[in-house]
Amino acid sequence: MTQMGFYFDQTRCTGCYACAVACKDWHDIDAGPVNWMRVHIIENGKFPNLSAAYLASPCYHCANPPCVLACPVDAITQRESDGIVVVDQEKCLGNRECRTLCLNACPWKAPQFGPEENAKMQKCDLCLERLERGQQPICVEACPMYALDAGPLDKLKAKYGDAVEAEGFSYSARFKPSVTFKPKPREQ
Amino acid sequence: MTEKKPISSDDDVTIVPTGCCHDCGGRCVLKAHVKDGKIIRLETDNGEEPQIRACLRGRAYRQRVYSPDRLKYPLRRTGERGQGQFERISWDEALDIVASELVRIKETYGNSAILLAGGTGNQGMLHGVNPVGLMLLHFGGFTRTWGAASYEGALFASMATYGTISTGNTRDDLLNSRLIIMWGWNPANTIQDPGTSLHLAQAREKGIKIVAVDPRYTDSAATFAHQWIPIRPGTDTAMLIAMAYVIIVENLQDQAFIDKHTVGFDKYKDYVLGKEDGIAKTPQWAEAITTVPAEVIANLTREYATTKPAALIAGWGPARAAMGEQYCRAANVLTAMTGNIGIHGGYASGFMRAYSSRETRGPHGSGNPVEEGAPPRKDSLYKLRGGTNPNSARIHSAKIFDAILRGRAGGYPADIKMAYVVATNYINQNPNTRRGVEAFKSLEFIVVHEQLMTPTAKFGDIVLPVNTFMERSDIAPPWLGSPYYIYLNKAIDSLYESKSDLEICRELSKRLGIPQTLGDETEDELLRAIAATRGDIPDYEAMKRDGVLKIKTPEPIVSFKQQVEDPENNPFPTLSGKVEIYCEHLAEMNNPTIPPIPNYISHWENYDDPLVTKYPLQLLTTHYKTRAHSTWHNVPWMRELEPHSVWINTADAEARSIKDGDLVDVYNERGRIRIPAKVTERIMPGVINVSQGAWYEPDEKGVDHGGCANVLTNDEQSPGGAVPMNTALVQVELAPQG
Repeated sequence: MTQMGFYFDQTRCTGCYACAVACKDWHDIDAGPVNWMRVHIIENGKFPNLSAAYLASPCYHCANPPCVLACPVDAITQRESDGIVVVDQEKCLGNRECRTLCLNACPWKAPQFGPEENAKMQKCDLCLERLERGQQPICVEACPMYALDAGPLDKLKAKYGDAVEAEGFSYSARFKPSVTFKPKPREQ
Repeated sequence: MTEKKPISSDDDVTIVPTGCCHDCGGRCVLKAHVKDGKIIRLETDNGEEPQIRACLRGRAYRQRVYSPDRLKYPLRRTGERGQGQFERISWDEALDIVASELVRIKETYGNSAILLAGGTGNQGMLHGVNPVGLMLLHFGGFTRTWGAASYEGALFASMATYGTISTGNTRDDLLNSRLIIMWGWNPANTIQDPGTSLHLAQAREKGIKIVAVDPRYTDSAATFAHQWIPIRPGTDTAMLIAMAYVIIVENLQDQAFIDKHTVGFDKYKDYVLGKEDGIAKTPQWAEAITTVPAEVIANLTREYATTKPAALIAGWGPARAAMGEQYCRAANVLTAMTGNIGIHGGYASGFMRAYSSRETRGPHGSGNPVEEGAPPRKDSLYKLRGGTNPNSARIHSAKIFDAILRGRAGGYPADIKMAYVVATNYINQNPNTRRGVEAFKSLEFIVVHEQLMTPTAKFGDIVLPVNTFMERSDIAPPWLGSPYYIYLNKAIDSLYESKSDLEICRELSKRLGIPQTLGDETEDELLRAIAATRGDIPDYEAMKRDGVLKIKTPEPIVSFKQQVEDPENNPFPTLSGKVEIYCEHLAEMNNPTIPPIPNYISHWENYDDPLVTKYPLQLLTTHYKTRAHSTWHNVPWMRELEPHSVWINTADAEARSIKDGDLVDVYNERGRIRIPAKVTERIMPGVINVSQGAWYEPDEKGVDHGGCANVLTNDEQSPGGAVPMNTALVQVELAPQG
């Protein structure tokens, strides 16, 4: 199996949110609690000795995804062909029924729930339909800084290195998130 | 440029290449996916490099087009001005009213009573203010303003020093620098031409040192800079002059460049060394003013003067202030003293236009009958061409509300009776909004072209619904001048009853008895004709098909290369033919606040104004990443990201018992706004920031809950024309409970 994943160059990210907004537009998600792509700001220091970093945070499509294990009805699965973690909303019990077990299990809070009653889980699917057409995920194509990439994780690591941690991101050896970084050093 | 693959598998989806054309620092490619006459999603440039990728604003545009707040049909005001009560009327009725009011005002008061309150909210060539201006010219003229809020200080300084606004280099040339100083410059948020941030990141990756001088630790400082130097607002000029001092006393200047290409260095030297006024402009002198340690100033100076080529990029923000012209003059002069002009990797600063796809160099005439025969303003650089029109019939934009209220009796050139408002949120985006409210209430008639019910549109007597750029075709030149054009193909039909500005003006022209003014050609025919007048659009059809024309240049564009390489045959376009450290044109003004050499001159509402005892905080009103001025304010995808707030340093917040997220009042004599506090280390103590562009939303007591920064700004002009958006003293306190 080829495991698909993300690359994120944290040294380039300006925290502009183009990825997050492009994602909402492409997947037609209203403003509100559902954010398949999130951008976190990590600030350190006291004036005038500061540093700040940003972290683009989609679903990292773990090799051992905790959400899959947590789901009581097997609504979340890992595709055999490419390791992309997908959710079957027909099977999903909804967040009132199951009390967001998948979200609670995910260290990066990738599972998302809308404001509607008993909302079904949704999350980043790495733009499956675009990948199938040979296109990059919309966030990758949106980034004005060319700070994002997606593809087979081994190829990403060969191209960009295999740093597994970054500001605001701790690796989990247990879950094996499919991501590699160019992390931003805290000291400027 | 062709698509590699069809972007959607849906056979009934058409991809229309267009682009963003509001007044941001970009102008980017958008590809609208249209299905059944509706835009269902957007892509940006995925074609040949360099791609012109849209920012978050462009990506959110679908929500602006389909906003439930879009104006759907012509409206007539039924309530008081500003209340927002309207009734629907027909286009015929609306246009009849506008035409008859135009005629009445003209016949009663003359054309000068008509103010064209035209803004930059649309950057296409066919629409926005352009057709309205043309129509009103043929109708006998109108009164207009000078003094661009954005850049007048930088422009004035650019003209005085270089005689031109074409002083920039294309961004790819940043990679040729060995040191980049981002002074009051935050392209991560303001874009400053697409690709600027990418080139800064690449420069850093190449090992080029980058320094940020800014009262805020901006996204640009955080991402690109190796060193951040916080500086007190309103004092940048002092630090730049102290840098000149260090260069002079340590003999670090490029004397050969100075001798060959500049005039007036000795006079500047006298001022800097204190021979003129007895005050040596040492780094210690500047430290007391700027709060920047003397050692930091001296070290930065040594690095800048000895690391060649180096790019000192003086952003427009610090010039958007009282005496803002002096800051840009001082920066320009520093680039000359170090010989960083006309060479790859250097930077002349100035106005910073790089590729002249929209520069005009014609005579000053405007063809406006209202302005005919009026002498040039005495504070203008009227002997030069290519800068601000010096006609004294124009009113400075910061003074326009006062001019409306006081007219000729107040010393202004016109008694304004009506405002024709197009492509602008006028009272929101000019200084002293509440005075603007007063002014707009005093007018006899106001017509507004708008897409949404803005705070300004609420003052319209007639409000005409305008379509968005997705609903019409146009050509948009780039912003500061990267070498490309965007062709905006109409993606969908006009929504509701909206029309384009051009269509509206054609209809009105017929009613005004000037039917031929705007012709009857199609947008395509007009754009084809515009393209034919340009030397750099070889293939109109290809540009239209692709939605973009990227012009290849053999190497990065560097302003003044010819002037520096072959000065005999290429003088600088100043009166002396040289870079004017000392500007005789300024000397002739005989105005101590517009001196012939750059001076640090303190001013009202600076940190040392006695008013600080009452209003101890300096206000910045910077650009915000989720808006282009006031456009995008009410787009939900934008509003949920880093919501509008006042930035306040932790120490200043603690002293006021303010916690992050608390609702606070920011106020001075001009007004009061109530918004959440963002308590942060990323702004220096003593300074707060309320990003401009949020919509004015007053309650019955006049407190603005929208957080419009211009409720607090001062409607004074700087002597050289800068609009002092970053010069205001305020106080902050917890909002009253309950």
